[in-house]
Amino acid sequence: MVEVPAIRVVELRKSFGTLDVLRGVSFDVHRGNVVSMIGASGSGKSTLLRCINRLETPSAGEVYIDGEPMGARVGANGQSSARPLVEINRMRRDLGMVFQQFNLWPHMTVLGNVIEAPIRVRGMSRKDARALGEECLAQVHLSEKSSEYPARLSGGQQQRVAIARALAMRPKAMLFDEPTSSLDPELTDEVLSVMRELAGRGMTMIVVTHEMGFARDASDRVMFLHNGQIEEEGPPEQIFGAPRSERCRQFLSKYRQ
Amino acid sequence: MSNWERLVWNQREILIKGLLVTIEVCLIAFAFAIVGGLILCLVRMYVRPLRPLAIALIEFFRATPIFVQLMWVAYVWPELFGWPNTFFTAGWLALGLQSSGYLAETFRAGIEAVPAGHREAGYSVGMSPFQVFRRIVLPETLLTVAPSIVNQFTVIVKSSTLISVITVPDLMLQALKLVHVWFEPIEILTATAAAYILFVFLVSAAGKALADFHRRRFGLAAA
Repeated sequence: MVEVPAIRVVELRKSFGTLDVLRGVSFDVHRGNVVSMIGASGSGKSTLLRCINRLETPSAGEVYIDGEPMGARVGANGQSSARPLVEINRMRRDLGMVFQQFNLWPHMTVLGNVIEAPIRVRGMSRKDARALGEECLAQVHLSEKSSEYPARLSGGQQQRVAIARALAMRPKAMLFDEPTSSLDPELTDEVLSVMRELAGRGMTMIVVTHEMGFARDASDRVMFLHNGQIEEEGPPEQIFGAPRSERCRQFLSKYRQ
Repeated sequence: MSNWERLVWNQREILIKGLLVTIEVCLIAFAFAIVGGLILCLVRMYVRPLRPLAIALIEFFRATPIFVQLMWVAYVWPELFGWPNTFFTAGWLALGLQSSGYLAETFRAGIEAVPAGHREAGYSVGMSPFQVFRRIVLPETLLTVAPSIVNQFTVIVKSSTLISVITVPDLMLQALKLVHVWFEPIEILTATAAAYILFVFLVSAAGKALADFHRRRFGLAAA
């Protein structure tokens, strides 16, 4: 039997007014795989990620999580209808999202940020949620910060808390939207190393990044986006060693010292 | 016996009774204004069909003089709606309505200041729009607008002196009564002004201390 991909994206399109940001993107991500998305600013990487968990509603196309379409549901009679917003809200929790700007909630402690959704969305008891929260914070090496407020942490620490917050929902996959782009170089490494550990433990990940080192060493596959389409994709050795597309070559040359 | 002793100290029971009425009216009006302001703000922002109505009410409450509103609520509403049936109620209602208009706009500014990403972070972990509002947007908004809310309370306190006109026995009315008995306005009115200054100062200081405490606690302001 062929394994159902963890995430399948089919002919995804997104326009803002007359601007076509995504122009038909299709790919599969298999369980335990790490896919890095690279490309210039404005190539549609972030929009693609936001369409996958439906923070943006795609103009056309579909995203399947473990074979389940995000935007539609198939009734008992085989008819498919638009999925109600309430259900989409629920399905989002299967996809952990990490943002460029961390987006921690400033009025909650670190632990409070992590256990909010397990309590409110999963209906866990406070006690169970605390245990889970401590475990997730340990995974990002921040156990000692659990009672701090986010504003007192460094950017790298805040981003690791954001990762723990996403992990606490036990997502089927994690989406990273330029997770290190607003960090100083010395703080970037601590976040990347946590991401590598996650990948090592078999987490399915899509990572939008400008960190070519991470894309080369930590991903199973790299996609180069250009103008809302996948211009080239393949294993990192191919993309970084011998890219076929001229645009990809040009893009990558800017990253070589 | 000095005038201060005769006109203020010996009349302190009357004045304190008035002050308590002032405090009571202001607290009720304030609570009403917060709830009313929040409702007006939410309707304006999120209930599209009722939006024009909310805007009209907010602008009406903000743009009419408090004195006119007081008269209107005290003398027109009972004719129109059969309520309020006491001047005390009319007093806090008029004060509360006006402040609800101002607070609605304050809340709106606060809600709009919450970064979109904080909401999206809530949605991305599966929270519903209501949960996102109650657990993330509202607390962050209150944190931002707390100083303005406290300021609005001081506005209520100062405007409340007008309810003496519709015979609510607040501090101002009690002071005026004493003036009319003794025909000695200097000490009585000076003492009354001092009482208002003290009240407003204490409220501002307490509100500022509370807001600062929370901002420091969350690490949002330098200690």
